[in-house]
Amino acid sequence: MSKNEKKITQSISDNTALDGAVAVKANEDDMLHRIGQMTRGLHESLRELGLDQMIEKAAQEIPDARDRLNYVATMTEQAADRVLNATDIANPLQDNIIDKAASLEAKWKDVMKTPSLKSEYNEAAEATLVFLKQAVEDSNATKAQLLEIMMAQDFQDLTGQVIKKITELAHSIEKELVRTLVDFAPNKPVMAAVESDGLLNGPQINPEATNVVSSQEQVDDLLDSLGF
Amino acid sequence: MADPNTKFLVVDDFSTMRRIVRNLLKELGYTNVEEAEDGQDGLNKLKSGGFDFVVSDWNMPNMDGLTMLQNIRKDSALASLPVLMVTAEAKKENIIAAAQAGANGYVVKPFTAATLDEKLSKIFEKLGQ
Repeated sequence: MSKNEKKITQSISDNTALDGAVAVKANEDDMLHRIGQMTRGLHESLRELGLDQMIEKAAQEIPDARDRLNYVATMTEQAADRVLNATDIANPLQDNIIDKAASLEAKWKDVMKTPSLKSEYNEAAEATLVFLKQAVEDSNATKAQLLEIMMAQDFQDLTGQVIKKITELAHSIEKELVRTLVDFAPNKPVMAAVESDGLLNGPQINPEATNVVSSQEQVDDLLDSLGF
Repeated sequence: MADPNTKFLVVDDFSTMRRIVRNLLKELGYTNVEEAEDGQDGLNKLKSGGFDFVVSDWNMPNMDGLTMLQNIRKDSALASLPVLMVTAEAKKENIIAAAQAGANGYVVKPFTAATLDEKLSKIFEKLGQ
């Protein structure tokens, strides 16, 4: 229909206002009917293609992925905490060695200013001085390494944030998918979660899960009970 | 106690874990340690000979630890080699499957230095009998 024809149609319907209102109502009904048909068609196509099962599977797998990400976040955080705790303990110890070695070095230097002492004594003192100097150097080097260990933990903050974002995203997608399933398949009972029976499941993130050992002790008990 | 000449092969696809196991073995007095990054690599290295002990992960690309263990037990030259599984796989089926395939021990990750020490001692003790 050209622009001019549209204008003509418009002016005709303006002239017959009552007839026009009836026509608009009929058009609306028709439109709604067609949207309904399209929706049903889409729904059926999805089912024919097996996509509804795929969505259902995805909805089941997302909570698992979320738990796995949470597990990664927890484990990396624990590792970071352990290293930071270790550096917290080691740093004051090193400080103590540095301080004491430095004051001992100064004391020996004072003693050695007196020339009357035996040569063996001097020799021993020299060796001690060399050691003390080395202790200061080594302790400082250790402290530099401790600082490096501490700084290497900065990944936890970054990966933790990234993982948290993905976890939140996965949670919202999961909610949407579940709602879609409930809305479009109201008569179909929600499929029970399929238990993976493979042997490659990775770390067990839930120690309460059935058929899973949660400690080395349980591994040992199981093997003992089987006679291995 | 620990024979420092015992030659270990540590098989794990994560270099961090290989490093940790290598360090733990060093602490226990075993300094003769080589590494492999998956079951296939491990099997190739074992076939080249000279190894006394295998510490292996389970879930690895190319060839997993269980398949490697099964191949070791099938190979007459390697069949008696002690194999300790160190893995995150913690289903009862996993532990049973490993035992049936002929694993000498099963350590579940995360593990402690004391656990590794205990399992190694136990395996050496049994072998000595």
